[in-house]
Parts: sequence; structure tokens; C-alpha cells
Amino acid sequence: MFKILRLEFVFNRRQIFIIMAMFTAYFAYMAYQIDSPRIFVVTMSIMIGLSMPFIILGREDRFKTAALMCSLPVRRTTIVLGKYAATWGAIGLGLGYAFLFKAVFPFSKFSIGEILTARNVLVSLFLISLIVTVILPFTIRFGLTGIIILLVSGQLLGILVLILTQALGGAGNPMRFFFRAVESGLRTLLTRETPPGFHLTLVAAIVAVNAASLFISRALYARRDL
Amino acid sequence: MEYAFEVNALRKEYPGFTLRDVSFALPRGHIMGLIGPNGAGKTTFIKLMLNIVRRTAGDIKIFGLDSLAHEEEIKSRTGFVLDETPFYGYLKVDGVASVIAPFYKSWDGARFNRLCREFELPFRKRVNSLSRGMKMKLALAIALSHGAELVLLDEPTSGLDPVFRRELLERLSGLIQDGRTSVLFSTHITSDLERVADYITCLRDGDLIFSAGRDEVLEKWAVVKGATELLAGETAKLFRSINRGPYGFTALAFDKEEVRRRLAGRGVVIERIRLDDLVFFLGQEGRQEKEAARE
Repeated sequence: MFKILRLEFVFNRRQIFIIMAMFTAYFAYMAYQIDSPRIFVVTMSIMIGLSMPFIILGREDRFKTAALMCSLPVRRTTIVLGKYAATWGAIGLGLGYAFLFKAVFPFSKFSIGEILTARNVLVSLFLISLIVTVILPFTIRFGLTGIIILLVSGQLLGILVLILTQALGGAGNPMRFFFRAVESGLRTLLTRETPPGFHLTLVAAIVAVNAASLFISRALYARRDL
Repeated sequence: MEYAFEVNALRKEYPGFTLRDVSFALPRGHIMGLIGPNGAGKTTFIKLMLNIVRRTAGDIKIFGLDSLAHEEEIKSRTGFVLDETPFYGYLKVDGVASVIAPFYKSWDGARFNRLCREFELPFRKRVNSLSRGMKMKLALAIALSHGAELVLLDEPTSGLDPVFRRELLERLSGLIQDGRTSVLFSTHITSDLERVADYITCLRDGDLIFSAGRDEVLEKWAVVKGATELLAGETAKLFRSINRGPYGFTALAFDKEEVRRRLAGRGVVIERIRLDDLVFFLGQEGRQEKEAARE
């Protein structure tokens, strides 16, 4: 697994640094404009959760190196595990950089102490897990086509949601109810008083979500012809 | 006899193409050439050997081990060159070796460096700036740097200049001298096979046409020319891929001795076959069969 991890990082290091540079501009804008640590944590998680898997898995498709990887003396299950480890490694780098940047950025509207809490980190990891859970199996199975399918589907879903929201209107609009539920859920995760064992539950949820995604990805990759 | 690999009723189904229940084997310490027209299933077969594509049915045993159950062990003893040379283009030549080497316990860095020098590969050049021939050389250097007992090569000579091609063939011949290393390589340049292959396997449209010793193939098959009238009755059954022209026919005979015996003294010309002719005639026969099926 470590051989794959090393290979992925050697292969993708330049792209990871490029995306970090892009994050710099994005985080600077967010920290300067937004005064809510909660919104910063959520948007940062979405950014990192969306970009890192695409970097790690998208380039393999571009260079068509999956066939090479699968010809090496390593099991496909180990390859998938390596890809998950590499993606989470990149996510870890992204999060570390985000927090470090926030700590040293002088024009921020809130302090690093307000976002760098165990709760925020766990919520961020949970949100990223939800994103990664969907993206990784798709890209592992379908490669770049999978990413495109996912992006196009996301766009179409967004358009559909907008149309439905407009069409349904009124107080009883189920779309508005859905968005309110998501917003309320995020607020609960990030700000409300939490019961004992909340952190442990979050950790368990993160592990469960990733384990399920890994299981699906392994099954899909085992069937993939390259 | 000890085999480098044995395939039994190997089947792979794709939409529009099926590799149909192929069975053959390569004895250890020999070179086998895989020939056939485009779309015959040569690349699919090599990919199946490497488990890059999953078989629909059948068995593959490499070094006597099931290729799925002992995938890691088999691959650590196998070198490969794929047709598309899929390398990490952003990396330099030595960088590619440095990420691949840890996968092989018996990786020989000194040997890789020596091969790169012999192949005139520039260590500090990025892979995506190399020509197809140079990428092929890099793939070969990697395939030959970990003491592989089976080397699978998919069109290794395409893109190579004639001088290096000859050198490569000599190198492959040298590889098998230890009696333990075996080579399977697919190619369209059949003259390469006539030079080095001990066995020839021919695929067409996913079917195994034959798998036999090179000398046996060259001895048994022949190109026959004669008057069209000779094709009447049972005689036509001696031939495959018959071309009828105004001045006679040209056909492929799969049993030269039988033709000689049956048509002796009737003005036929029996020519020694070259593998190139064999691929040509068998490819033509395939097209004829397809056309007949359409009609």
C-alpha cells in the first residue's frame, strides 16, 4: 500500500502544489470576506473534498496509467486502498494548509482558534467523507468519464432543484424544506450543544462512510477492464 | 514438460468481440510469437495474462499457478511491455524507474541503468517528451530489469528502428538461453518471429487458428498455385483462403504433404510459406467468411 501511496504522491505532487496555490487565493478571499467560522469550515471542506480526489484519480486516466499500475505485482484491492490513502493524504495536506494559512493570514475576520477545534475538524472530515464517498467509487470505476458524468449530473441536478424550487413555491415547498434541513443539520453539527459522545459518533460515522465507500470501490475496481 | 504458461478454454466477451475458448501453452525457456490480423485478440490475450482485463471463463496458469489466485507472485516474476506504453509522462526516465522499482523484490537498479545506457535512453528527460520508440525502449528496460521469468511483449518492435529491432531480437534470444526465461510477443512484423520464435500462435477474430512450433508451421503450411480446374470436388478441401483468378488459383494449404501427394504431376506450384503470407491469407479468409455470413 505504501508503494502505491508513494507512487501517487510522486506522480501528483506538482498538481497538489498547484491546487494549494489556488487555495491560497480562495482562502484569502474567504477569510477576508466571511465573518462566520462555520461557513468557512463548510466551504473549505467542500473545496478540498471536491478537488483532491479529482487530482489523484483524474490524472491516472489522462496518462492512461491504470493499466500499468494493474500490471505491477500488486492486488487491485491494494491499489484501491492506496488510492484512498493517497486521496486522504492529499486532503490532510489541504486541511493542514487551510488551517496554517488561516493562522498566519493577517486580514482575517476571525481567529484561528475559532475554527481549529476538535469539533470543527471532525465536522470538516465528516463533510469531506460524504463527498469523497460518492466521488471515489465513480472515478475508480469510470475514470475521467466518471468525473465528467458526476459533474454533469451535479449540474443537471442543480438545475432541476432550481426549477423545482421555483415551480413549487410557497411555504410547503419540499425543496425549501430540504435545504432548511441541511442548513439546520450543519448548524447543529457546528454550533449547538452536543450530547456526550458526539465526537466519538462523528468519528464512527467518518470511519463507517469511508469503509462503505472503500468496499464499493474495491468491488467496482475488481471488475474494471483496462 | 514444464510450461511457462498454460491457457485452457480462455474466453473474454466484449460487446462486438469475443476471444473464444482459446487453449494453448508455452514450454519454459522458449519464445512464442503471437500473430494475427488487426482485431484478432492478441492484445486482449496479453491483457488477460496480466489480469488487466478480467476473463469471462477459462483458466490461465502461469508457472503452474492460477493467474488470479497467485496474481502478486506471478506478476513479480513477469515482465511486460504494453502496446500503448502507459507511463507517467510527467516523470523523468529515472523517476519512472524509482516509482516502479519498489514493486519488484528482485529489481536490479544497476541492470536498469546499464540497459538505459545501451538503449541510449536519456535519464533526465521527461517521459512525455520521448518518441514512441524511446518509450518502448524504456518499457523494455523496465521489463528486463527484475529477472523476469516470463516476458510478455505487446508489439514491442513497432516504432523501433531496424537496427534496434535486430538488437532486441538478439537480446530476446539471449534471454531464453538460461532455459528458465520464456517470452511471448505479439507482432505484425512476422519476419521478426521467423528469426527468433520457437512457437507461433495465430489468432483471428478471437479464434485460435493454430499454436505450434515454428518449424512445424513452416513445414506444414504452404502457398499453392495451380489451374482453377484442380479445385473441383474434394481437392478444394485441401485449401483455405482460395483466390481464383483468370489464370488459375492461389491458396493456402494447411497440409503441404497431402497436397503434394494428391496433386503430384498436375502442374501445381507449392511454395515455401512465410509467416507474412500466412497472416495475409488467414486474414483474407476471415474477411471472406464474414462476407459470406452477411450474404
